[in-house]
Amino acid sequence: MKRTRLLAILVLALGLAMTAAACGGGEEEGGGGGTGAAAPSGESGFGTATGPANKGGTYRVDVESAFDFTDAFDPTGEYTALGWSFYTLMLRPLMTYKHVAGADGNVPIPDLAAEEPEISDGGKTYTFTLRDGVKYAPPVDREVTSKDVAYAFDRLADPTYGGAGYPLYYQAITGFTDVADGKAKTVAGIETPDDKTIVFHLDKPAGDFLYRLAMPATAPIPEEVAKCAKKAGDYGRYPIANGPYMVEGTDKLDISSCNTIKPVSGYNPEAFLHLVRNPNYDEATENPDARENNPDRFEFNINSNVDDCFNKVKEAIIDDTLCGETPKQTKEYTENEDLKPLLKLYPDDSTFYLSMNLTQPPFDDVHVRRAANFVQDKVGLIRAWGGPVVGDVATHILPPSLVPDSLEGYDPYPSPDHTGDVEAAKKEMAQSKYDTDQDGICDAPECKNVLHIIGDSGRERGMVPVIEDSLGKIGITLNTRLLGDQYSVILDPTKKVPFGGGPGWGKDYPDAFTFFFYLFDGRVIPKEKGGVTYNEPLVGIDDATAKSLGIDLPAGGVPSVNSDIDNCVGTADDTQRLECWGELDKKLMEDVVPWVPYIWRNNSTIIAPSVSRWEFDQSTGNQAWTRVAVDQSKQQK
Amino acid sequence: MTDPTPGAGGDVLLDVRDLAVRFPTPDGVVNAVDGLSFSVSRGETLGIVGESGSGKSVTSLALLGLLNAQRSKITGEAQLKGQNLINASDDQMRKIRGKQIAMIFQDPFACLHPMYKVGDQLIEAVRVHEDVAKDKAMERSVEMLSAVGIPNPRQRATDYPHQYSGGMRQRAMIAMALINNPELLIADEPTTALDVTVQAQILELIDEVKKEFNIGVILITHDLGVVAEVAQTVMVMYAGRAMEHGSKEQVFSKPLHPYTWGLLESIPTVTSKGTRLIPIEGSPPSLIRVPPGCPFHPRCPHRFEPCDKERPEFTDRGGGHPEACHLASEEKDRLWHERERRRATVAA
Amino acid sequence: MLAYTIRRLIWAVVVVLIVTMVTFAIFYLMPPGDPAIRFAGRAPNPRVLDQIRENFGLDKPFYQQYWIFLKNLVTGDEYGWPGLGFSYDTRVPVRNELLDRLPRTLILIAGAAVLWLIVGVTIGIISAVRRGTLVDKAAMGFALFGVSAPVFWLGLVALFVFWQKLGILPGTGYTAFSDDPKEWFLHLILPCTVLAMLYAAFYARMTRGNLLETLGEDYIRTARAKGLPERKVIMKHGLRASLTPVVTMFGMDIALLIGGAVITETVFNWQGIGSWVIRATTNSNLPVVVGVVLMAAIAVVIMNLLVDILYAYLDPRVRYQ
Repeated sequence: MKRTRLLAILVLALGLAMTAAACGGGEEEGGGGGTGAAAPSGESGFGTATGPANKGGTYRVDVESAFDFTDAFDPTGEYTALGWSFYTLMLRPLMTYKHVAGADGNVPIPDLAAEEPEISDGGKTYTFTLRDGVKYAPPVDREVTSKDVAYAFDRLADPTYGGAGYPLYYQAITGFTDVADGKAKTVAGIETPDDKTIVFHLDKPAGDFLYRLAMPATAPIPEEVAKCAKKAGDYGRYPIANGPYMVEGTDKLDISSCNTIKPVSGYNPEAFLHLVRNPNYDEATENPDARENNPDRFEFNINSNVDDCFNKVKEAIIDDTLCGETPKQTKEYTENEDLKPLLKLYPDDSTFYLSMNLTQPPFDDVHVRRAANFVQDKVGLIRAWGGPVVGDVATHILPPSLVPDSLEGYDPYPSPDHTGDVEAAKKEMAQSKYDTDQDGICDAPECKNVLHIIGDSGRERGMVPVIEDSLGKIGITLNTRLLGDQYSVILDPTKKVPFGGGPGWGKDYPDAFTFFFYLFDGRVIPKEKGGVTYNEPLVGIDDATAKSLGIDLPAGGVPSVNSDIDNCVGTADDTQRLECWGELDKKLMEDVVPWVPYIWRNNSTIIAPSVSRWEFDQSTGNQAWTRVAVDQSKQQK
Repeated sequence: MTDPTPGAGGDVLLDVRDLAVRFPTPDGVVNAVDGLSFSVSRGETLGIVGESGSGKSVTSLALLGLLNAQRSKITGEAQLKGQNLINASDDQMRKIRGKQIAMIFQDPFACLHPMYKVGDQLIEAVRVHEDVAKDKAMERSVEMLSAVGIPNPRQRATDYPHQYSGGMRQRAMIAMALINNPELLIADEPTTALDVTVQAQILELIDEVKKEFNIGVILITHDLGVVAEVAQTVMVMYAGRAMEHGSKEQVFSKPLHPYTWGLLESIPTVTSKGTRLIPIEGSPPSLIRVPPGCPFHPRCPHRFEPCDKERPEFTDRGGGHPEACHLASEEKDRLWHERERRRATVAA
Repeated sequence: MLAYTIRRLIWAVVVVLIVTMVTFAIFYLMPPGDPAIRFAGRAPNPRVLDQIRENFGLDKPFYQQYWIFLKNLVTGDEYGWPGLGFSYDTRVPVRNELLDRLPRTLILIAGAAVLWLIVGVTIGIISAVRRGTLVDKAAMGFALFGVSAPVFWLGLVALFVFWQKLGILPGTGYTAFSDDPKEWFLHLILPCTVLAMLYAAFYARMTRGNLLETLGEDYIRTARAKGLPERKVIMKHGLRASLTPVVTMFGMDIALLIGGAVITETVFNWQGIGSWVIRATTNSNLPVVVGVVLMAAIAVVIMNLLVDILYAYLDPRVRYQ
């Protein structure tokens, strides 16, 4: 007996020792190319790599778990930022961006278009001339024509293919909704007088139209191939590139008939996406402000083991990562001076928020909503996310890059160190009808056991106690339910969820319209049951819709900002439009108060020492694949 | 040491002197066998009789080296045709087991491997000692099965043990034991697990086999009735020691030990109808704490002064019938007749 | 005998059907949410959602969907036979992906099974024979370790020691045999060993226990009394009787692993069935889940049958009912 126990202790000790060794592995330098290789020259963690743009080599990236595409990589409907970032290599829409960080990265420049368009008719007509010599990848081989661009829009308008994506942005085009409603097959408002010219007619001016023409769904699509796709997502198995890179194996496709087209070998949705140079690509047609096209090949491989992802990038066995850093990596890379330059942090133009439903008590009272903004400990929430490295405290709705300078430092609900101001909150709460004795603490039954839906990820679980604690200080108690699939509940207005702790929103293109339209326009709320909306607070819901959905409105209805949105989006001048959006942000924060915003998130990426050039792409919120370069001599196997 | 071996007259196969088997345990040393001497000759059936815990089974296991060597201490001598079995090497013992000495056990169902055919198990017994081709060995097996009275032996050799009846299994065990023509057969409670009718058959078989193959047999049992049927000589054991050893007639008609008297009185026989059964008071002693002096003395109605101090020697006081008791021969005579009379009287 | 076999086969089919039915029921009666919303774009109106649901076949009541599922299973669908539909996430036909991944999981299991059987049983035998000695205690200590060490920890430590530190074995990922046989084999070593550890430990304990029990049986004493050398007594007589429960366990363990050695596959980025179905479950990806469950149920049923047959072969006592 005694000897067995001793042995057990020894075994346990051995086990603990091995665990300690495994966990402490962070201290040691990588094997092969780790220590000696210098980090890309010059910059600290928040800068860009400005080293030599080595040409050639394979840029290897590990992707955590899955691509998670929403439309199976079909450009017409795909709307993940990741998918869009891959398209920057493969597809050339009429417009694109510079694919750099910061405000400069949000400026649209001509891509497939030879130059900026001619705008006429009071901003309602856009005429583009296409570049010469832009060819599709083999086996399509031919030059891109304006008809291909028009076809992309027809596909986008067709609910079968485009419904999965973002067709609402193009409703301004004359005749677009006719196709959406099944009344026409092609968009009447798009003209193609010849192969190199395309004209867009809009119903009313849209100041941000050029942004909308930079989105990948508008890139030209060869109809002879895409017609074989029978349902949404199918085309994603064999997308034809017209850009500098194509999916590996595209040239081996047999497009002679629809029966012979097979999924392209370079894309296995469950395992990898490999891109190689498009042999038909003519560098002379490139817009050098957009792309450098350094590596010969890109490998995006799925890795189910996050630890392994970071182990490999440290050893330069892979060059870049699309894996979620845990506090372990963040800590390691921020504290180690040698590693710091390899951690890239950029705000990715997204806001995460606690959403309050304007139709459900107690949040149907604006004083309660203002009190919630005052009392919330935002720093505590950010700690649950992993600390200040993960993002900055959000004090209003739009991320800083989308507002004018006049909103710099704007915080309508200030509190000491953003940890919450209980006194100010109580003063606000005392004015609410739910605080019957006006002591600043809600005592009406509507404040007790308020349903709160949030996701069950690690950071959301960490947020729950902070939220409950803050709201508890003004007398609101929550009935928190963690759901793996929170969205199907909170996005459904008929579910009448009063409070949602999980959502976040990122821009689709660098204009506040992509925020306000989906989040606060009453007209996007579905009129019948069975639809969903991202306007969780139900700002601007009208009586008819509410009745049809079975929702009781508070006396006096719910505030609307529909006309404000219309006003701003119609403003053609960029600077004025920016100011307009800024004012709307303020109005929402002070008068409507649908949210408690708390973080403007950073995208964090860890790269390998083998990367010689690296940029952040502000337009996609991911790496600027069009600018990266790799030093082959520093790559390990 | 005296040499008290009543034999049946044939040549001596096994000669055991002062066999002692001790098991050291955390609670103390178990004296399973405490100084045993006897011999067995060709053509003789020696019946070793005793209660459970008397050491009779341990004796045979010790002789064959089947006890766990790490947990038992065996001393003494056991000469088998000039070779000492006690503490011989593993190799030597393996050659003897199944070849010169064979053993059969109590529960034939548990003793045959349930997953191999009976014929195969017999073949194995042959081939472990002789380099014989499989079909030759099968022939021999079939012969043996026939010899022990199993009908349809060729067919039966391809059956599994669970397809045999109880009696047939024991016959098969006997066949397996004798297939290599051993000189000595040890049968440990061979009939205890069988029906009464089958019991008689098996005993008869053992007797036949002994005569036919001219071997010696040690028959271990707690059942005096069994002994009465087939044994020539009888040794009574108690607490690991021999109490009495003589021919069957001697032990049954003129027993020389109070324990034997008790045994004889406590079994019902056809002739004792109407007489009272008298069990022996008390229970067998713990073999760790064997009573000092004569081990039987706490239960002996005739104990007297030396019984709890001096261990009685196992000696032959004449007549080739040794025993271990302090009582004088005349005393024993008198007491035995008195007991007999008392039994008969009470019945009436 | 024939009637018995037919009855068993019919019952097996019924069991598999019930399993798939329960899976469908769980998916629809538990509230994990509406997969259509994830794929529905920015501002889906009911029409778009309906379209997506129609694409996925989600617009029909669940018993109708189940019926369609059964029909496609038997007659095949647009992607071939058996018709298992397509993954909601990637639109990849479930059948194709299943056929791709299954061999990878199978080779992982096969490698591990060979390892754990040999190592586990051997250690168990040695332990039983040398019971009470230091060898026995060390072996049981190893068994305790193997049973207690979580698989993911073992995997991470193994990678750390053999790949990162020592560099003698390659890291995560699967290399096809047709690409590079040497690499294929090297990549197999760590995951198979890690997966085998837990089972080897368990089998060592079980073999030891069974063998010790068997060695106390009377027929072992008979075997010795026949003069058999000790090695033969243990290996031929002892092992034969103690292995039948091991065989039963082995069959079931393999059957259950076919449903996916989830943790091992995830840690080693093995791209097998396990890591695939686990993601599908959290994403409410019904076709994948049902496809894998179906396959796993069939595997269990087949292995059950095989084990029964093997058991009857090993132990003649069960043959005659």
